[in-house]
Amino acid sequence: MRNFEDDPTLSDLLTPDQIRRLDGALSGLCREPVAISENRTEDAVPVEFNLETVGWLSGGASAGERKAAAELVSFLMLFVAKYRLAANIHHDTTEASYAELQRQNEALKASEAKYRELSDQLQQKVDEQVAVIRQTQQELYESARLRSVGHLAAGVAHEINNPVGFISSNLRVARDYVKNLEPLLPETTENRELLEDFNDLLSESIEGTDRIADIVADLKTFSSIDQADNALCDLNSLLRSAIHLIQTEYNHSLSIAESLAELPRIPGHPSRLSQTLFNLLDNAAQAVGDNGRILVRTLTDNTGIQVIIQDNGCGIPDKVRSQVFDAFFTTRPVGSGTGLGLTVARDSVRAHGGQLTLDSQEGAGTRVVLSLPVQQGS
Amino acid sequence: MPDFSPEDNKLALKVVFYGPALSGKTTNLMQLHSLLNPERKGELMVLETRDDRTLFFDMLPIGLRSGSGLDLRLKLYTVPGQVQHDSTRKAVLSRADGVVFVADSQVAQQDNNAIAFGNLEDNLDKVGLDIDTLPMVVQFNKRDLPSVVEEAELQSRWAGTPWAPLAMASALQGKGVIETFRALLDRLYTVINAEFDLAGKHDIDRATFIGRLSASHGVGDA
Repeated sequence: MRNFEDDPTLSDLLTPDQIRRLDGALSGLCREPVAISENRTEDAVPVEFNLETVGWLSGGASAGERKAAAELVSFLMLFVAKYRLAANIHHDTTEASYAELQRQNEALKASEAKYRELSDQLQQKVDEQVAVIRQTQQELYESARLRSVGHLAAGVAHEINNPVGFISSNLRVARDYVKNLEPLLPETTENRELLEDFNDLLSESIEGTDRIADIVADLKTFSSIDQADNALCDLNSLLRSAIHLIQTEYNHSLSIAESLAELPRIPGHPSRLSQTLFNLLDNAAQAVGDNGRILVRTLTDNTGIQVIIQDNGCGIPDKVRSQVFDAFFTTRPVGSGTGLGLTVARDSVRAHGGQLTLDSQEGAGTRVVLSLPVQQGS
Repeated sequence: MPDFSPEDNKLALKVVFYGPALSGKTTNLMQLHSLLNPERKGELMVLETRDDRTLFFDMLPIGLRSGSGLDLRLKLYTVPGQVQHDSTRKAVLSRADGVVFVADSQVAQQDNNAIAFGNLEDNLDKVGLDIDTLPMVVQFNKRDLPSVVEEAELQSRWAGTPWAPLAMASALQGKGVIETFRALLDRLYTVINAEFDLAGKHDIDRATFIGRLSASHGVGDA
């Protein structure tokens, strides 16, 4: 690009039309026609502007005529050039200002984009934190509820234990007394039937109190009220208690097959592990309905313990399989599931350094594998 | 930067009169136009003004032709001093070979001098020139006015800078204008001679350079 200050040439200052018109006008003033050109000819005189020869004027009747005409052209040139210079510098500065504006605009855009990105990141972080808080709150609520239910169950169990104890022992004593009374009664059919019935009544009652005693024991195990937060756990016994409780919940209608291997005890939170096992069994029970079968197996190797709970129930549809561990996700009717069962189960297992894997096929059943490590020295 | 075209044997130099608004830059140039009688002098082009204020710039071309045939041109420019014409100032300042900073001597104008000097520094930087190496003369103008800062105080204030001693002028009365210009030619010669060997190749020594470009009416060559 030419600078505004570069010395202008004749064609910069005047168009060929303007030069022709100037030639015409000057020729009219002179006795002989004159012509302006950028090229020097024999008799030409210089047309100067700003100490620069911009063209040559030839023709005319005398040297004086040529000189006067050239002087007139120089004079005109001054005003043409003034305008040209002003226009050029105006053009230059406008372009420079525009370029500067564009540069600022780009910088502004870049900084705006940066801030938008930053704001998006912040929003995302806030969302993540909100989700974490929500889940933690819900789990806290859930665990507090479980704890209070556990406390209640343990308290009730403890209170029931005594009366059940003396009812059970009284019933046994009563059965002995009935045996003692038997020879003292007259030998009639009516009396014999009465005595048999009485014996049966007492036996059934003893069976009933034994069952009550079992349930109470299970409840105590389940709520682990008499255990420290961190204890050595026997997973098999936790599993048996959970199975008894689930059977009680479903009126002993479930077909649960147990295959429990001898397991090393592992350190952990018994109540949380019990809750986990109960949740998994509850899911299986819901899946199988009335006619299915649940298989519970435990096995161990050098590195860990595996608990496998397998059912031949409805399975989990493909489209929801990725969501089953999400908090508050549930397929059950409103009010009947919290959507936290698997979430809490997985979190508990992870807290124990293990993992929970789920394998399911819709219509064929579900298999859940709970792996827990056996730690050194345990 | 000097514009040398070997094919025409022509060397064009550019001197810019810079300074705060109304400090007398155009007056300096008009006085030079009427006082100077250099070997070659073109028309003073006062480009466009509004209320007597420069809108674009003024330009005065002068020149000399050396014995070796070197066509030496010196174009003297003024810039618009008003703050809003900064992009024009920058455009005129680009490729300058020398600067005359015309300051206002009045006590009340010292802040404006400082602002304009800072602006000069900034703009030189933006057009790729270095204020410390560029030939420059600082002129304090309007010495004829009553409320001016004492010369002794100004000289001592600027004593530690590359631009000491300062030039004092009263451009309206034509005083100090040529002296300022000669001081600049002196500093300009040092730089240009170093690059183009004016003395060796073109037979233009310092005295010739200053004298022939700043010859004044009546008095003759300095």
